[in-house]
Amino acid sequence: MKRRQFLSSTAMLMGSTAVFSFLPGVSLAQETPVSGGTLIWGHSETVQNLDMHQTGTASTNRVLQNVHNSIVTVDANLSVIPMLAESFEESADGLTYTFKLRPGVKFHDGKTMTSADVKYSFERCKDPATGAVNFEVFNNVAAIETPDDLTVIVKMSGVNAPFLSRLAENGAGVIMPEGSGDKQGTTPIGAGPFKFVSYEAGHQVELARFDDYWDGPAYLEKVIAREITEPTVRLTGLRTGELHMINDIPADRMDEIKADTKFQTVTWFPLNWDFVNLNHDFEPFKDPKVRMAMDLIIDKEMLLQGALWGQGRTTASPSYPTSASYNSALANRPQDIEKAVALLAEAGYGPGQLKVVFKATTNYPYHIEAAQIMVEWFKAAGVDMTIEQLTWADWLSQVWVNKDFQISMMNFFTLWEPDFLYYSLWHSTGAFNYRHISDPVIDDLVTKARVTVDPAARADIYKQVQQRVFDETHDIILWFRNGSIAAQTTVNGLDTIVHPNGSNLNFHKVWLKA
Amino acid sequence: MSYLLNRLLSIVLTLFLISAITFGVTNILPGDVAMMIMGTQSNPEALEGLRHSLGLNDPLIVQYGRWIAGMFTGDWGQSLIFKAPILDLLGQKIKASALIVVMSMAIALAVAVPLGVWSAVHRDKWQDSVSSSAALLGVSLPDFFWGIMLILLFARTLGWLPSSGYADPGVDFGLAVEHAFLPSLALGLGLMAHLTRMTRSTMVGILGQEFIRVARAKGLAERTVIWRYGLANAIGPVMTIAGLQVGYLFGSIIVIETLFNYTGMGWLTYQALLNRDVPLIQATVFVIAAVVMLTNLLVDLLYLLVDPRIRLG
Amino acid sequence: MKRFLTPKALVGLGVIVAILLIAILAPLFIPDAAANKMNMAARLKGPALAHLLGTDQLGRDLLYRVMLGARTSLTIAGLAVGLSIIIGLPLGIISGYYRGHVDNVLMRLVDTLLSFPALLLALTISAMLGPNLQNTIIAIGIAFTPFLARIVRGEALRVVQMPYVEAARASGTNDLQMILRHILPNIMPQIIVQATISLAFAILAEAGLSFLGLGTQPPQSSWGLMIQASRDYLDVAPWTALVPGAAVALTVLGLNMFGDVLRDVLDPRVRG
Repeated sequence: MKRRQFLSSTAMLMGSTAVFSFLPGVSLAQETPVSGGTLIWGHSETVQNLDMHQTGTASTNRVLQNVHNSIVTVDANLSVIPMLAESFEESADGLTYTFKLRPGVKFHDGKTMTSADVKYSFERCKDPATGAVNFEVFNNVAAIETPDDLTVIVKMSGVNAPFLSRLAENGAGVIMPEGSGDKQGTTPIGAGPFKFVSYEAGHQVELARFDDYWDGPAYLEKVIAREITEPTVRLTGLRTGELHMINDIPADRMDEIKADTKFQTVTWFPLNWDFVNLNHDFEPFKDPKVRMAMDLIIDKEMLLQGALWGQGRTTASPSYPTSASYNSALANRPQDIEKAVALLAEAGYGPGQLKVVFKATTNYPYHIEAAQIMVEWFKAAGVDMTIEQLTWADWLSQVWVNKDFQISMMNFFTLWEPDFLYYSLWHSTGAFNYRHISDPVIDDLVTKARVTVDPAARADIYKQVQQRVFDETHDIILWFRNGSIAAQTTVNGLDTIVHPNGSNLNFHKVWLKA
Repeated sequence: MSYLLNRLLSIVLTLFLISAITFGVTNILPGDVAMMIMGTQSNPEALEGLRHSLGLNDPLIVQYGRWIAGMFTGDWGQSLIFKAPILDLLGQKIKASALIVVMSMAIALAVAVPLGVWSAVHRDKWQDSVSSSAALLGVSLPDFFWGIMLILLFARTLGWLPSSGYADPGVDFGLAVEHAFLPSLALGLGLMAHLTRMTRSTMVGILGQEFIRVARAKGLAERTVIWRYGLANAIGPVMTIAGLQVGYLFGSIIVIETLFNYTGMGWLTYQALLNRDVPLIQATVFVIAAVVMLTNLLVDLLYLLVDPRIRLG
Repeated sequence: MKRFLTPKALVGLGVIVAILLIAILAPLFIPDAAANKMNMAARLKGPALAHLLGTDQLGRDLLYRVMLGARTSLTIAGLAVGLSIIIGLPLGIISGYYRGHVDNVLMRLVDTLLSFPALLLALTISAMLGPNLQNTIIAIGIAFTPFLARIVRGEALRVVQMPYVEAARASGTNDLQMILRHILPNIMPQIIVQATISLAFAILAEAGLSFLGLGTQPPQSSWGLMIQASRDYLDVAPWTALVPGAAVALTVLGLNMFGDVLRDVLDPRVRG
């Protein structure tokens, strides 16, 4: 029920966003779940590298969420709670973490989990040679001790306040059987409710129930995640009954599917968030006035309607909306072309004097549409903007790595952990700071947060960071986008499927009515 | 014998040229394999280390040698995006594409040959105009346009066939054919139109020849003249043209498989190109070119068997 | 000329002239602003009086966009075919005229290149150079070159063996004069036929490339790009695909009809 609470609390905070629509006549009263059956899910994205440590893509995490369990996880309020560890303890100085493992947890190969597996998994993730995307979670980890089979003690050489919450992210905290590293990329093995059966690139991933799962076996015998990236095609598959459920309902069809009594829909908020990026190394954008003018040119509400058919909610803060660090005092600047023109003139750019190139990636078709809409507004403000459409590979190399761009747009899955979010994206040396942002005020704040153990004080620091990003218009934060699932009415337990992070789907409690 | 030996030598030489062109072209690709592997985690030092361990700093000729040697020993390398052995990927995807290439060819020939003959027999009459106009329209519509029309008609309006996806023929052949049918038809319609035109013009040429007139003069039934004497002589040229179209089909599957979300070789090649997965681009491009070349050779050899007039000296 | 002016030729020619006129004139009468004007209140609207061919997913007028797309498609196709002639013609003539080792080496290369499906070659080149208008032209042009070189070589080989060429050679005409005065004029008809047919293929190739996102870039109007954008809205707004699709089909049909007639007239050997 935790997840349902999560959904309803989100709904309260943001105003009715999580909606369940069931067939009229089908009561919401809990029926007794039935075991068995194969669920075929039309997955919106393709899975890539299956090694949970190495993979950075949300699509792979979404599927592997069912194969792996983490040492700790989060509840609806994004507080860290036990999972494979029965309990955990942080010393007062923040330098020692003690985990008591749950006894009798089985891996898919039949072995029982011990502290040696935890040590192995942590060290594998920490080792730069592994190429783990989350290796910096283990910054400051000096030693991992295993006094007995069910106790793990992590000793730090310095405070790393976000350590526990970052372990709750699947990638860093998953526990793999000792020595399984080499096989994880092709045949992942973990302690989750489903065993990995097979994978065919671009076609499907097949999972089978793991009967010895520590939290009780799942209902479904099999889950087949069929990869169908075309939204229309996914929808057709649902209509013809070939698929039991699909995620990511095409935004323009949402109303139609919701009204269709043949299906049930689940929507939640948020799935991810989008922002427009300004390269701070590009001469005009060094001037905060110009950056603010860019912000004023964009009508976020209209853009949301145009690019996502309104399936989301505008925001000026990228913090997870239910998290303590979300700064609700911020509001998007409304569109004001006149003021933008004035600001540009003040900065020395008369009509037609500012020329910019917008690099958008075809990986997110709605980014291309958003760019096309923005071009018209920029024109109205006397800014000459052209679009360059890049494949994902080109976007990564040009914008992300080489930082060779003027304006771009990107989305991130909700990085609910504020250190990960703010340090990576806005610290001058942050791993995700591809906009050349260098603001000493932000650097000081996020560094201070890393060694601030008191949660309330930390949250407050992050609110100041958001204020600063907004005041200086370092980036133009646009919106949170909705997540959605449509399913046949035979699928039950959908209220438990969405992980608190808004991206992962968990099939443990999902069942099929015969 | 010496003919066969010559052919064999020429195959080896051509395969070598294909591999060299593929390798050469893909190595001028901008973008960096190491960067694609590291993605959003890239930083200059790590990139340099990875480049070194992948052997990307070696001279091109050394890399080329390694690639060729790998192909012989069954080590085609790893796909960067799928993190899977390329040979495994190719095995899965060739099966899928073979199914639609064969089906589309069968659909096209089954209609084109009778229609072309019929058209030639009724040359310059209304039957000819109708079939020739239809064929002209057929070759003028892009195959992805056919694909869209077929999705609209069969999948959306009638709901008879799945609009997309792929099913493994090794697991459930019937289901696999069902999924392969619309993409095959989309590919087959354009091909059908082309082959109809070719069959017609070949038959027109043959029907005007002396031996046909002789056969008619001998009082043979028209049906026998056309099918026994006419078509028997037309089948060789028509087959050659059909064989040459295999190359066209392998170009078209890139678009059609993407449209139908049918994950075969075309889809794999497109993914590789989009993601700059250089090892995978090299492998898919090489395999497609090799398959096209070998098919043409096979057609040449079949032609020798079918056409009685060509004997090797 | 009587034979040339068949109804088929007239229709084909008519279609080509009409589309050429649209390609030339449309940009003069339809400002970019009108074709790019979005209307969120009129998205995916079917054909009606306000928008004769309906609107796309951003509420833009499809009639305007399809007319502006004509210029993009014809420009790319025309320049690509031009490029393939510029490279392929000399290669083919040299190969056919000099024969021997030059021919062997060149044709071996050309035959190998012919093993690469043209669309695959174009896609690879476009991905390599980075997709934009100019690179699309280069990609299609190069992809078509081997085919053209093969045909030119065959024709040159045929002409070289003609008695009057032998005669000219005996009278001491040098190679360059020979090629310019005798070979080129005699293979011209074949090249014109081939160019017309290639033009049709180039339009299809451009549409295919743009459809895969490796051709023309938005917000420029291109038929392939329009079809690409329509994919997500196929079952609610089929006209967004049918309008550009019909434009491609009509153009290619016109070129093919015209090409058929040209071939009948200019190339006596394949007269059906």
